[in-house]
Amino acid sequence: MYNAPMITVRLPQKKKELEIPGPRRVMDLLADAGVRPTTVIVTQGKKLLTKDHRVEDGATIDVISVVSGG
Amino acid sequence: MKCKRCRRAEAAVDLPSHHSAFCPDCFFVFFRRQVTEGIRKFHLLAPGDRVLVCVSGGKDSLVLWDVLMDEGYETEGLYIDLGIDGYSDRSKEKVLAYAASRGKTPIVVELAKEGIPIPEAARCVKMQECAICGTVKRYFFNRVAAQGKFTVVATGHNLDDETARLLGNLLHWQRDHLARQHPLLPCGDGGLVRKVKPLWRVSEVETAAYGFLKGIDYVTEECPMSEDATSLVYKEALSRIEDRMPGTRIVFYKGFLDPSNPLRKEPGDAMGATGMDEEETGGTAQACASCGAPTYAETCSFCRLKERVRKARDQRAARVSR
Repeated sequence: MYNAPMITVRLPQKKKELEIPGPRRVMDLLADAGVRPTTVIVTQGKKLLTKDHRVEDGATIDVISVVSGG
Repeated sequence: MKCKRCRRAEAAVDLPSHHSAFCPDCFFVFFRRQVTEGIRKFHLLAPGDRVLVCVSGGKDSLVLWDVLMDEGYETEGLYIDLGIDGYSDRSKEKVLAYAASRGKTPIVVELAKEGIPIPEAARCVKMQECAICGTVKRYFFNRVAAQGKFTVVATGHNLDDETARLLGNLLHWQRDHLARQHPLLPCGDGGLVRKVKPLWRVSEVETAAYGFLKGIDYVTEECPMSEDATSLVYKEALSRIEDRMPGTRIVFYKGFLDPSNPLRKEPGDAMGATGMDEEETGGTAQACASCGAPTYAETCSFCRLKERVRKARDQRAARVSR
C-alpha cells in the first residue's frame, strides 16, 4: 500500500519524532506537537524558519528547545 | 515573509516582541545592536577592559563570547568542568571546538581535580545541585579573574533568565535579592571583580537563532541536574504570558531597572549590587581565613562548603572501613 509523504517533525531534546500531513505552517505544526512558539527555534537543514513559513509534505524539520534552566 | 529591515530578502527570524522579522544578515545587525545598547546603557564594559567570559558550552555564553570578540573586546573564555558524567565532557568539547575555531584556548577549571565535583558534593551535603553550582562557579569566576588580572567577568544571562529570576524574587518578596539584581555588579571591596550580563536585552530565542545562523555548535541538551530547577517554572509562566502578549518580558525587566523603582538600589550603593556571593553580603569584606578570597564571614562560603564535603566524605569512608 502506498504511504503518502508527510512532514517529519523531529524534537531531538525530547527524543520524539512526529509525522504530520502537510502542507502546514510552522506555527500550526508547533501547535500539533504541543510546543509553544516562544520556547523553540525551528530549522530545516541549514535554514531557520519563521512561524508563518509553509512546510511541504516530505520535508523534515527540527524543533529545538531554547529554554535553559539552573 | 520579507525582512522588515532590508525589505528584500526572505525573513528567517520573526520577533513578535519587536513587531519585526529579519533576514540572517539584518538579524546579525539587530542582535549586535541589542547587545551593544545593553552594554552602553549601564556602562557594562569599557574599551580597555580585559573580559573573562564564562562559557558553559550552551548557546548564550558562546554567543556572548562571539559577539564580544566581534565587537573588538579583549576576551578569554573560562570553562568550569562541573564533573557531571557525560554532560560535562560533551559541553567541554563544544567549548574547545568553538574556541579553536576562533584561535583561542579557554581556561579550564576541573572541579573533580579541585575536590568538589557538583554531583558528589550535592550528595555529601544533601543540598540541591544548582545551589552548590552557583556558589562554586561564583568563587572560581572571581578567583580566575583575580589571578589572570581580568577587569571584568561576563556571563551569558539573557532576558529570559533575568525575568525568571525577577519573578521568583518578587513572588517570594526577596527584598535583598531584588535590591541587588542588575546587569552590572560592580567591584566589591576586598578584590571582588566586576560582573556583567551583556545579553540582558535579548531573549533565549534570539540567542539560539543567532547561534544557529552563525554556525556556532552549542550543546542543546539541558544540564541533567537542572530538571527540577524552579527557574524553569518561572520561565514557563513568563513564556505563556509572552505568547499572548509579546514584548511583556522586556517591559517587565526595563521597568524593574528604572532608577525610580523603589524596590532596587543603583549598582554601587552601600546596600546595592555587589559581586559577592548572595549569602555573604553586609559589613566589610575581609580575606577568607582559608583561601584568602574576599568574604564577609571568617571563612568564605566556598571553603565552608568544601570542608562540609570533606567531612562527609571522611565519615562515609570510616563507615565503609568498619
